[in-house]
Amino acid sequence: MELESILEKHFGYHSFKTGQKEVISSILAGQHTLAMLPTGTGKSLCYQLPGYVLKGQILIISPLLSLMQDQVEQFKRFGEKRIIALNSFLSVAERNSALRQLSSYKYIFISPEMLQIPFIISRIQEMTISLFVVDEAHCISQWGYDFRPDYSKLGEIRKKLGNPLTLALTATATSKVREDIIASLGLEEMIKVESTIDRPNIAYYVEQITDYHDKQNRVIDLVSWLQKPGIIYFSSKKAAEQMASLLVEKEICQAMAYHGGLDQTSRILIQQQFIYGQLDVICATSAFGMGVNKENIRFIIHFHMPMQIESYLQEIGRAGRDGLPSIAILLYSPGDEQLPIQLAEGELPSMQQIDWLFNRLADEQPLMDGRFKLNNHLKELGGFSEIQWRIIEDFVYSPQQQTSSSDYLQVTIKEFVKKRIAIKKSNIFRMKKWVESTSCRRESILDYFTEILSDKVPSCCDQCGLQLSEYKSNKKTPVLTAEEEKWKDYLAKILLNSGLTK
Amino acid sequence: MLQIEPIILYCLKQLDSERTIYSVYHLLNGKKSSQTIQDAHLYSLKKFFGIYESLTRESFEEIIQSLLKKKWIYPSREQRFLVTSLGKSVLTTHPLPYFMNGWKYHLFTSQVWERLSLFIQVTSNLVYQEARYVPIQKNKDVHKWLKAVLKEVQAPRKEVGSLVFFELVDCFNDATEIDPSLLVFRLTGFQQIGLTPMQAAQKLHMEIHDYHIGFIHTLHYLIQKINCQSNRFRILSLLFHDLQQDNELTHSSQKTWALLKQGYSLDMIATYRHLKLSTIEDHLVEFALNIDNFPIDDYVDKELQTKILEISRDSATRQLKIIREKLKTATYFQIRLVLAKYGGR
Repeated sequence: MELESILEKHFGYHSFKTGQKEVISSILAGQHTLAMLPTGTGKSLCYQLPGYVLKGQILIISPLLSLMQDQVEQFKRFGEKRIIALNSFLSVAERNSALRQLSSYKYIFISPEMLQIPFIISRIQEMTISLFVVDEAHCISQWGYDFRPDYSKLGEIRKKLGNPLTLALTATATSKVREDIIASLGLEEMIKVESTIDRPNIAYYVEQITDYHDKQNRVIDLVSWLQKPGIIYFSSKKAAEQMASLLVEKEICQAMAYHGGLDQTSRILIQQQFIYGQLDVICATSAFGMGVNKENIRFIIHFHMPMQIESYLQEIGRAGRDGLPSIAILLYSPGDEQLPIQLAEGELPSMQQIDWLFNRLADEQPLMDGRFKLNNHLKELGGFSEIQWRIIEDFVYSPQQQTSSSDYLQVTIKEFVKKRIAIKKSNIFRMKKWVESTSCRRESILDYFTEILSDKVPSCCDQCGLQLSEYKSNKKTPVLTAEEEKWKDYLAKILLNSGLTK
Repeated sequence: MLQIEPIILYCLKQLDSERTIYSVYHLLNGKKSSQTIQDAHLYSLKKFFGIYESLTRESFEEIIQSLLKKKWIYPSREQRFLVTSLGKSVLTTHPLPYFMNGWKYHLFTSQVWERLSLFIQVTSNLVYQEARYVPIQKNKDVHKWLKAVLKEVQAPRKEVGSLVFFELVDCFNDATEIDPSLLVFRLTGFQQIGLTPMQAAQKLHMEIHDYHIGFIHTLHYLIQKINCQSNRFRILSLLFHDLQQDNELTHSSQKTWALLKQGYSLDMIATYRHLKLSTIEDHLVEFALNIDNFPIDDYVDKELQTKILEISRDSATRQLKIIREKLKTATYFQIRLVLAKYGGR
């Protein structure tokens, strides 16, 4: 069957988006493939569709639980039921029952932690994996901004599974990261399908602002006349909350804050309210955006500078999925890079914490086999955050470290941390350089990914003479009418379909 | 309108300075400790048990400060307060939430809400023949429940919407003490997403704590109403399908109960379960509170029971320490057991 007819039959689309067909054809021709497709161009389809052609099972390794859940749910909505997600959301009973009937699933999503469990690996070894998919593959590379130590072991796992056909997916990876991905997977070569990361309908605009207070006023001003809907990104929950209430108080628009501190139900509600147009603006931290498929986002404002160009690209890439003109505005005040530096350092354990921990470990009885046991009370006493503690655990429990002495381990962890901080800082300074640059924004972003701008777009960036007024809304935001809707009317609206006479 | 302040004020009045303010906090939080459970019974505060599980200590302390500032309460001893006459007059003008039934409903209130909200969302999308939408509830058990009950609905799919509509309206129409808006605007339907608690509070111009209390009160009203007249609310009764409703004992104390019935002594149970004797004693106090006709004579002889009750009555107290000082022959456990069995106001 032709690829188009499979696409139509199972997904209801008439044509492929950029890059999809090349990736799928390459996979179906039995070639290991590294696909770099921009956010929002339907990367998932690249492993979903081959499942309807390939005989065995598709194994998808996905680093983020929430992302995995989104992918599974979205896929299920296409009517595919043969999906299982093996992750820590499953209870032990559910996991065991899933493993028992593993062969009845076509698509197996799994988190990297689960792949560390020998029992699970051996169960997967009994299957015929026809496609080994690594989602967010840039996490493999230590040069990637989102390096995950679990991910660096995927090459080993791939070998254990008999070197299956492999697809690595990422939205943003520099050439260095791409080489790292191929090497880590134990491959000599991969077919690279790279569609341009350029999004011609998104214009760049960087504005220097003297201080924080002015920034707030500038955002209020921008939001009042820019075409909506839009997202404003912040690095802190508090700043996001503040701005959302300011926008509502001043009756600029319907706005809500969205961040990891909200409970799950509220997060879903706010996201959906935005999708259905009940909110014009979301004041968000980077927690917002994954799995949000909204076509008509007109602006992305960055109140704070992101930690690297890759994240920036991913966040502004949520604008203009409908292809219509959209604007990405970054507001910069002197010293703004301090916040991302603090955040970067906070993600890693400090030197003092590491020294403290190893002092404590020296006092404790090692296990029979000479290994250490990390008690959770040490985590609390040492003030380790969840993410910091995971790094420590990764090192202490990794098989390679089992035989090494505690002094060696201590040094290894410290070196790892220093290296990570150095990489993160250089990413932040790269970002800052871009902000301060006086050359075309689009060209220099493409340059970062060793791409060359082929077609110059008319509405390009502030450096190329872009006027923000092009993005002015011609509609006046309707003044918030305080219409008193009665609960009975609301209930009738959702439960009684008056048009339902056909 | 319902408010949290009068509720806390009422609790303080009931405690009459015999407990610290934190026993009120634990009560609202629904803390599963035998102390809190016993207090709920002894001071007749069962209906407020577990009605605000998400209340933080800081918010609670702020409310206490506010009561103090309004001169509704005054400090008696450390962390203990008495209600002023101004406070007492406030209580006469502020009705307590009539339908609130924390002790009976706290275990499944949020479950009923999750079920209702998913049921309405799914029904609404059925009515509008929409198959693609994001379910606002992620809880797998709620989804399992929904699958099971959708099979039981006898009406054609498209008509379920109007059936639920009329049942809900019918259910709410009878009540003058509640405002259905608190609950209804939180519901999600076809292309219409419900409000978060914060948004609903803002829309209704309510303070968030008062909103929360009002929301729980509305749910408790709904639960009681549907439960009493399940024939009248055929669809809404499905909310209680397979719902564990009458589980008044904590999980651990159920195990103790099973052993006790087999005739084991308290010491033997403690050894067998690797628990402290005091924990097993806590369980017994729970039985005295919850199980009708639970005999306590094996642990406190009749004569001592009468004495404990007399002292408690004469000195108008349920403070163990005071009773114990006057009756050295009784243990704390015995006093607690007797008060638990007979001491409720």
